[in-house]
Amino acid sequence: MSYKIPMGPFHPALEEPYKLDMICDGETVCDAKLHIGFNFRGIEHLAETRNYVQVIALMERVCGICSFIHTLTLCQAMEKLTGLEPPPRAKYIRVVMAELERLHSHVLWAGIAAKLMGFKTMFMTCFELREKIMDVLQAISGNRVNYSMNRVGGVNRDIEDPLSLIPVIDALEREMVRTVIPIFTTSRTAMSRCAGIGVLTHEQAISCAVVGPVARASGVDQDLRRDAPYAAYEEMKFDVPVQTDGDVRARLLVRALEILESCKILKQALTGMPAGEWFTGDGKFNFVTGTAAARVEAPRGEVMYSVTWKEHARNPARIHVRTPTFATMPAVRYMVLGARLADTPLIQASIDPCYSCTDR
Amino acid sequence: MNPLDATVESPLAADVWADRYGIRWYSDPEPGVRDVARAMNAVGARFVTITAYQLPKEEGFRFEYHWDLAGRLLGFTFQISGSSIESIYDLSEGADWIEREVHEEYGIDFAGRVYEPLLLRAGQTGGVNLREEVAR
Repeated sequence: MSYKIPMGPFHPALEEPYKLDMICDGETVCDAKLHIGFNFRGIEHLAETRNYVQVIALMERVCGICSFIHTLTLCQAMEKLTGLEPPPRAKYIRVVMAELERLHSHVLWAGIAAKLMGFKTMFMTCFELREKIMDVLQAISGNRVNYSMNRVGGVNRDIEDPLSLIPVIDALEREMVRTVIPIFTTSRTAMSRCAGIGVLTHEQAISCAVVGPVARASGVDQDLRRDAPYAAYEEMKFDVPVQTDGDVRARLLVRALEILESCKILKQALTGMPAGEWFTGDGKFNFVTGTAAARVEAPRGEVMYSVTWKEHARNPARIHVRTPTFATMPAVRYMVLGARLADTPLIQASIDPCYSCTDR
Repeated sequence: MNPLDATVESPLAADVWADRYGIRWYSDPEPGVRDVARAMNAVGARFVTITAYQLPKEEGFRFEYHWDLAGRLLGFTFQISGSSIESIYDLSEGADWIEREVHEEYGIDFAGRVYEPLLLRAGQTGGVNLREEVAR
């Protein structure tokens, strides 16, 4: 006899509201429906009431983890409408901030995944590592969450001594290679909880148009940093990790390998940072009438901003935000089909969902 | 020959595209939204999103549909005078949630699909224009 298990809106793994109604036959999930919108904020509508300075601060609040990415995407779209080109140093600083944000997001996720697997020690190790990254972000921006780094035409703060950050990146890389990745990839407990669990096939990933590490773990080789480079990514050398199994283990591996690639990018950006100004323009902008779009590869995948402005207006006419979780989350219903009920919290967490972004 | 057929044969080289502010817009008029979705499926493009705009007075709505093809963002514009446009959900599964969101925010009917359960406002009335509700 089948029965319904409602999971959420208070999630067993993540402290944000979302609900998954699962139809189960014994311990096996036969069908699932997702519900979001428990904290819908109407930010796109609010953005139309903010001027070109205020709107950056507003969109920084779309996500607490990828706050830099959201303002980067917005500012890149606004720069297209104002004709401003950020100076080279600003582009490098943007790469550094974006990769630090990816590191802290992936390490945070690894910690949560470890906790869900019953690896409390690994959870603490990951959060200790994350704390060091947060310290670097705070040292650069003065803030731990909403960094206020981006402005139209560049960034608000310089990185005065970029080379001083390299030892922190080296230490993080060492710890990942020596401790975190080996345990996640060889421990029997981790394997039994992750291998073959929550599979999203390549065909399903294409059909659902999922993005980011979830897509790459299902064999979809896409990454905007390589395919449509922005900021200074064209000058960086890095690989895009792709796995083909489509299970929780593959998602874990993709993120682990991305941490190493991020370290590689960070070292290139910090050592090769050109001298010069970190913003251009006098803070007053003339927007042309039109719609501009910008896309950025956030830790969870592609973020897209479509920004419409009318000439001489102070406020945007329309801002539409397509966040990565909004694209990826519908695929969860495929991942949980046939899964054991006990595995579903980890499967849901394996997409690294951001409900704040989704309920923007 | 349908211009979209030429697009399918050589999607990035066809002269029906115009680059503007980071988007490669399809400039040939009047393809249907479902024709576009089929053409994008044929070239292996990835659906990205739909942006809805409410036009002033009684002019209706404008929709911008976006696909990604080899890292390039493609754009298609459709304008409707009423409040209904064909759904592409059956052709492009990735359009599911954004169609539901636009339905709930603007009261747009994506013909040929159902919306239950509501995406953003569970238990409430669907298909209302939230912006007009807020204005009232």
